[in-house]
Amino acid sequence: MATDGITKRRAPVGWGVRILAWVCILFGAVLFSGGVWLMALGGSWYYGIAGLGLVITGALLNRGNILAVWIYAAIWAATMVWAWWESGSDLWAQVPRMLSPTVILVAVLLCIPALTRAGQTRAGQLRH
Amino acid sequence: MTSSSRPHLRTTSALALAAALSFAAPIAFAQDSAAETSQTDQEAMPYNAPAENAEQIAPAAQEPTGELPEASDIASDTPAPSQPAMPVDVGADWPYYGGDGSAQRFSPLDQITPENVSNLERAFVYHTGDMPTGSAEGKYSPETTPLKIGDNLVMCSPMNTLISIDPATGEEKWRYDPGVSNDAIPYGATCRGVAAYTDPDLEEDDVCKVKIIEGTIDARLIAVDLATGEPCTDFGNNGAVDLWDGIGEKVPGWYAISAQPTVVNGVIVTGAQVKDGQAENAPSGVIRGFDAKTGELAWAWDLADPERMRNGPPEGETYTRGTPNMWTSASADEERGIVYLPLGNSAVDYYGSNRSDVENEYATSLVALDASTGEELWHFQTVRNDVWDYDLSSQPTLLDYQGQPALLLTTKQGDIYILNRVTGEAITPVGEITDAPKGDIEPDFISDSQPVSEWATLRKPPLTEKRMWGFTPIDQLWCRIQFRRANYDGYLTPPSTEPYIQYPGYNGGSDWGSIAIDLERNLLIANYNDVPNLNHLVPREEADERGWKPINELEGAAEGGAEGAGDPQAGAPYAISVNAGWRSGLTGMPCTQPPYGGITAIDLDTGEPVWDTPIGTARRNGPFGIPSKLPLKIGTPNNGGPVATAGGLIFIGAATDNMFRAIDMKTGETLWSDVLPAGGQANPISYEVDGEQYVLIAAGGHHFMETGVSDEIIAYKLPK
Repeated sequence: MATDGITKRRAPVGWGVRILAWVCILFGAVLFSGGVWLMALGGSWYYGIAGLGLVITGALLNRGNILAVWIYAAIWAATMVWAWWESGSDLWAQVPRMLSPTVILVAVLLCIPALTRAGQTRAGQLRH
Repeated sequence: MTSSSRPHLRTTSALALAAALSFAAPIAFAQDSAAETSQTDQEAMPYNAPAENAEQIAPAAQEPTGELPEASDIASDTPAPSQPAMPVDVGADWPYYGGDGSAQRFSPLDQITPENVSNLERAFVYHTGDMPTGSAEGKYSPETTPLKIGDNLVMCSPMNTLISIDPATGEEKWRYDPGVSNDAIPYGATCRGVAAYTDPDLEEDDVCKVKIIEGTIDARLIAVDLATGEPCTDFGNNGAVDLWDGIGEKVPGWYAISAQPTVVNGVIVTGAQVKDGQAENAPSGVIRGFDAKTGELAWAWDLADPERMRNGPPEGETYTRGTPNMWTSASADEERGIVYLPLGNSAVDYYGSNRSDVENEYATSLVALDASTGEELWHFQTVRNDVWDYDLSSQPTLLDYQGQPALLLTTKQGDIYILNRVTGEAITPVGEITDAPKGDIEPDFISDSQPVSEWATLRKPPLTEKRMWGFTPIDQLWCRIQFRRANYDGYLTPPSTEPYIQYPGYNGGSDWGSIAIDLERNLLIANYNDVPNLNHLVPREEADERGWKPINELEGAAEGGAEGAGDPQAGAPYAISVNAGWRSGLTGMPCTQPPYGGITAIDLDTGEPVWDTPIGTARRNGPFGIPSKLPLKIGTPNNGGPVATAGGLIFIGAATDNMFRAIDMKTGETLWSDVLPAGGQANPISYEVDGEQYVLIAAGGHHFMETGVSDEIIAYKLPK
């Protein structure tokens, strides 16, 4: 165990945020690699881009950076627009497109208090 | 191809489980992504839009082929040679499989209406007692539709026990068990129905005045007395005729009857189901007529050698092997003495270069025979050189159309044709697809042109990458990758050793449940599947390595399972592997988005849909086989037909949510439903007793549709 100061500086967030971070990274990495493959096959670019965005979200979450929320919110919003463009009001068709990205959005939003605390901690450390 | 149905698809649903599932998926994804090589497909499919796309379809007439009789030879000026097989009307009774002899599946009863149907309740539940034991487990698909004749409701159980019950109380009157053994089960234990025949020369109280006749899965014709259930001793050998005669080496399960025979002017006409995809050297698809009094062979129609085989094969020979068979229901114009045979494909479905010219002439055709002689009158082919298992599988429906004696034919590929039933000429417009892709496997065999109906089709537009589905973006992505890698040139993509998409799949379109028509409302009611298959040919050497053997070389009972999941096609250079319903290897869910099945009402004048709506909810389906319990309409695969009633309702089971529904014929809205103990993959009927209208369905379930198994026959009526 490192000293308190070092731990806080590297990952000033709790285990809940870190689990979410790694889920985003894993999920994002799979989406990214499969998405690149799909692009190469002449298919949709959505998955590669969304996958990359998820990896970045996960990395920022791991660092306790509130920017993760903004980036993921942007991915989510773009996802909704894309989903509507592909399938419109067909709710069953939207299950894979909208459901789990929204579940992740909720999880990311739930991280805001922790990320805010982490930001304050970091800011406090910087002042010292 | 054989019977029935196929995909069941675990449709899905969106549960709050979502998050957990999405996290599980990546692991499986990683494992599967190392799959085989393949090519990218093209997105544009120039020819496969349904027929509306007029400029892509050259207006070529689809001429019926064969010797065309002059209409007057057999038309209405000929006196009816005898009375119909069952001289009673549909209404209080349901004397034929399809209602009356015209197979319109229409009941003139009108007591149950859209206004009062919500009060419908169970009148009785009868248990046939026929449930699978031993090696029959997992192979039951009863598909049973009873007849109602006077005080008898007569039916056959999946293992061919004939039963009569009281149509008002469900009390059993008699049963006759012909003793069919489990090893006879072909693809599934199925007995779609029985036929009834009234002997005009017998007195009212004579034994076997009315015969109940069934074909069994061990290939016998059985005739019993309607009143007592006792075998008709004057018929065949103590009430049974062995249909293996002239077929060749007896391999249980290879040759079986699952459809009710058709009785025309004293001749019992039957084909048989030949288990698909086993070998080119398979039992013959011969159609035979038997004297309804004696069971003696009246004629045989062997399409490859009709003259020589007419009275049976010469000593030491068999009927021509491997020819297209008729596993489904025929229908007949009893007045004119014509029987209409919906033929399937040759025994090996997915490779055709070894087929004879005459097989190519008749495969996947509707054939009209003179029922007294077995001579062909005409035939109408719906697919040329079929390598998609697009057997004709629905019972043709007879009607008068535009002033002509007509016949309505539905197909697995979705096209609906109306033909003059005397001459075989199309009344509704038939177009021609040209430039169909020929593929690399047998480009000389694949036809680059195919007929399509320009009047009506159940076929939907071709698949696109956007229609790939899943539960999460990850499994959806995996399906999109598969879509891009598979060979797909739209409708009629020819087989390849790389994965290729067949859409619609072999379950239809329309399947054995057939359609209903209501001539008063001028509507055609059709339920249909909307499901692709992902297939690939397997080179012989590889099939041998996998141990795929035809049924005659197997030791012990054949395994159950989806048809084509690994069929050897012995004799051809390739075996076939079919992923029925194209289910994702990750979740077991379909790779394409819902709906997977629907029901539509089509205007009989214009061929245009009046309404078209998905059928079936997601209640029994979900990822990894977990029922979602969601009562949301999704549109499930379905098998089993509708019945239309003068009261303005459609009754139908069919969907894999195991619901039995009453649908408003005007709007397509479901007004009433009941949960069945297993799938209602059977055609319902309606009848009347003591002034009360009943609706009845056999809720037997279906192994391939994954809808459980039950022996319940359930009748409904309004409360008194």
